[in-house]
Amino acid sequence: MRSPFAYIPRRGPLQSARPGAAVAYLGALVVVAFLYSSPPVLLAAGVAACLAGRLAGARTAVRAALRMGFALALLIVVVNALVVDRGETVLARLGELPILGQVDITLEAIVAGVSLGLRAAVTMVAFGVYSACVDPDRVLRALRPIAARSALTATLVSRLVPVTAADAGRLRDAGRLRGPGAAAVGKGALARRLLAGSLDRAVDVAATLELRGYSLGVPHGRRRPEPSRYDARFYAVAAVVLAAAIVGKVIGADDFHPYPTIHIGLGAPTLAVCAVVLASGLAPIRVARRQVRRRVASPPRRTPGVRGLTDRERAMLLGTARQGVSPRSPSREVDRV
Amino acid sequence: MSELAIRRGAAPALAVEQLSYSYPRAAAPALLDVSLEVAPGEFVLLAGRSASGKSTLLRAACGLVPHFHGGEVEGRVEVAGLDAIAAGPGELAAAVGYVAQDPETQVVSTTVAAEIELPLEMRGDGPGDRARAVEEVALALAIPHLLGRAVDTLSGGELQRVALAAALVTRPRLVLLDEPTSQLDPVSGDELIWLLRRLNEEWGVAVLLAEHRLERCLAAADRVVAVEDGRIGFDGPPREFLAWTREFDPTLTTPAARLFSLAGIEPLPVGVRDARRVLEASTRGALVSPEQHQSTARPKGPRAFEAKGLWVELDSGDGARDVIRSIDLTVAPGERVALMGRNGAGKSTLLRTAARLIDPVAGRVAAERMALLTQSPSDFLVRERVGDELPGEAGLAALRAVGMEHALDADPRDLSGGERQRLALAIALAGRLDGDGVPGLVALDEPTRGMDRGRKEDLHALVERLAAQGAAIVIATHDVEFAAEFAERVVLLGDGVVIADGPSAEILSGGWYFATEVARVLDVPGVVTPEKGAALLVDSPSELSGHIDPQSSEGPGEGAG
Repeated sequence: MRSPFAYIPRRGPLQSARPGAAVAYLGALVVVAFLYSSPPVLLAAGVAACLAGRLAGARTAVRAALRMGFALALLIVVVNALVVDRGETVLARLGELPILGQVDITLEAIVAGVSLGLRAAVTMVAFGVYSACVDPDRVLRALRPIAARSALTATLVSRLVPVTAADAGRLRDAGRLRGPGAAAVGKGALARRLLAGSLDRAVDVAATLELRGYSLGVPHGRRRPEPSRYDARFYAVAAVVLAAAIVGKVIGADDFHPYPTIHIGLGAPTLAVCAVVLASGLAPIRVARRQVRRRVASPPRRTPGVRGLTDRERAMLLGTARQGVSPRSPSREVDRV
Repeated sequence: MSELAIRRGAAPALAVEQLSYSYPRAAAPALLDVSLEVAPGEFVLLAGRSASGKSTLLRAACGLVPHFHGGEVEGRVEVAGLDAIAAGPGELAAAVGYVAQDPETQVVSTTVAAEIELPLEMRGDGPGDRARAVEEVALALAIPHLLGRAVDTLSGGELQRVALAAALVTRPRLVLLDEPTSQLDPVSGDELIWLLRRLNEEWGVAVLLAEHRLERCLAAADRVVAVEDGRIGFDGPPREFLAWTREFDPTLTTPAARLFSLAGIEPLPVGVRDARRVLEASTRGALVSPEQHQSTARPKGPRAFEAKGLWVELDSGDGARDVIRSIDLTVAPGERVALMGRNGAGKSTLLRTAARLIDPVAGRVAAERMALLTQSPSDFLVRERVGDELPGEAGLAALRAVGMEHALDADPRDLSGGERQRLALAIALAGRLDGDGVPGLVALDEPTRGMDRGRKEDLHALVERLAAQGAAIVIATHDVEFAAEFAERVVLLGDGVVIADGPSAEILSGGWYFATEVARVLDVPGVVTPEKGAALLVDSPSELSGHIDPQSSEGPGEGAG
């Protein structure tokens, strides 16, 4: 079974862009998430990341990342509500609890937890889209001349992850197929077995890497230029998002204070940052260019042997185009894109 | 140096001289005093039983032994003039390509194009050269449509071709293959062998191929080398190899050779075409099957397995698709059924659905006390003592059912491959035996993968015993020869539907790919095993007497299997 975050080769703009451009674009959304704590801005970043994933065809990865992100966000909200007792709006007094001491659940602590949780969720969705849309081979290829050993380790790990996932699935199935009279297999025993098996697998994968010449070191050949007409778009969007985020931060767009009472500002700077961040989610859209078919009237062409007659006149004279081009021939229609 | 090499005036593609090798901490050497030479452009088949040393020899030829595995080595190995013991596998990569048995661990990249390009990139080839080489090797192996795919969306057969492409892209002088067809259906297996032959002929690549199913590749080989307990037992042309197997190791012979041997016909054929040529030249009339009119009606009565209007949908990442489409199937207690079909036809999915690992989207499936053994029996073994895996009376009864009650205190890792398979089956059976110790339905998924004939015979005996006790047996397999021996009924699946269901003799003699070698040789409905074929040849009016060698005849009734 494939991981929902597994890379699927597609011809979309995000997949076609160089890894650097894709990382800059998705990284800009993550920077926004870490720079801001304002829920509207974080929400805008989350929607932008989801939109980018949907437009890039990574719907499964977005769904899985949202599930994991919301689960993590929920955990953060619960923990924050339990451990932070700041805020004036007390929703519940849980009294004295072991380790935690006096616990008061406040609305402010919950909202602050939501802000933190949104930050985590945005980061997870952005990483999910990155994982499903950026070719790891291209990333490793770019990494190899810079850090050969790290690239080797990353290659080994990136291959072992799906192999180990497949092994885990098989072991789980074998566990379910054991007869009711056989000794039950706990998760610990399965994990030990998986670990032992993955070591064998690692040896096999490492042997394959040896055979492919990986141990020879950094390749000395010229690197293939990997042209992409979308790089400029993603770099530009990343620059605009980062600029808007930094300027916004400076002029007070991150207008959110959870304590002592909740204040969520929705001023012009905040809305402007939200709009820019939201719009950035459209960057991976594929613009279908309309093919314009224009009929171009060709200038009359004189045929050397038939004085005074154009091709059209000659064809009309002969009734049909016996040779040359008929007046209705499609070859006179020039396609212009 | 061989005649071919001398004729071409080139260094041998592979030269092994008095090679002895022991794995670290091994009690006995894996290779002992092995000397072997493969000429440029030669196609050599490596035969031998399981654990005889074939894989170790291949690993020595590509530098993994001793560089990767360690251990003690003596002797000399040269690949295209390079000292393989001094140079590592990376340095040898340009001269030798290696394709191992398990395709899953042979790919290291995410996409097919990147996987094929990697060896060239590591070698430092320029972008233009790389693009051209990838395109050419993809065309040669008929996989250009796969270049943009992610490797984890490929089937086993496709993955095997990609691994072969990555091994061939550097245009090596020698390519080594370790049981490359073990996971492939007969169609893909035959395609791969003939593809290798074509590359061998057109590109001049020397091929050293280790295989158990010799009937698939013997006709393509120029020479056969048999490995016995780490030593070279035989080295010569395929026809002489068949004569050698008759005398020294009958488990290595092919079904067609066995057919001729039992019928007392000489010379032994190296392939179907060879056998047909001899028979067509000598038989007067068409051979008549003794069992042409067999009933395909299923017996009514109790059912160990029943599927009715079954639909199963799976999503492998590219969107959900129907893998099983409206299957109706019943299996009676004591019946032995082979489930066959191409890779991806739905065999494993049907068994997994019956075992409740997958939920059907429509229809119903019922299996009585079903024990399913998946393709990798070692997945069932998680403890260090057999008795700990199978405690109590239920465990002992299951061990008794598979004939393993003597191994209660053994460590599963010390058992042979066949014993581990039996133990895994016992784990699946434990608690699923009735009062008399009889299982309901025993299903095995590709149990003969990578097995030599001796182990297949042991498995056959076990299956016979369980069926005789009243268990229904369903085995999903690509091994037509094994199916012909154990099954009384064959169900052929194609793209999720049952395309044929009938007596094994009828189904396995009615086609070309899903037919035994004997069926392809004789082309007589209902005759699929060497024993039946030999009986027919001996009884038929023919002019075979001129070919029959009374000294070599084993007699059709002897040594079945």
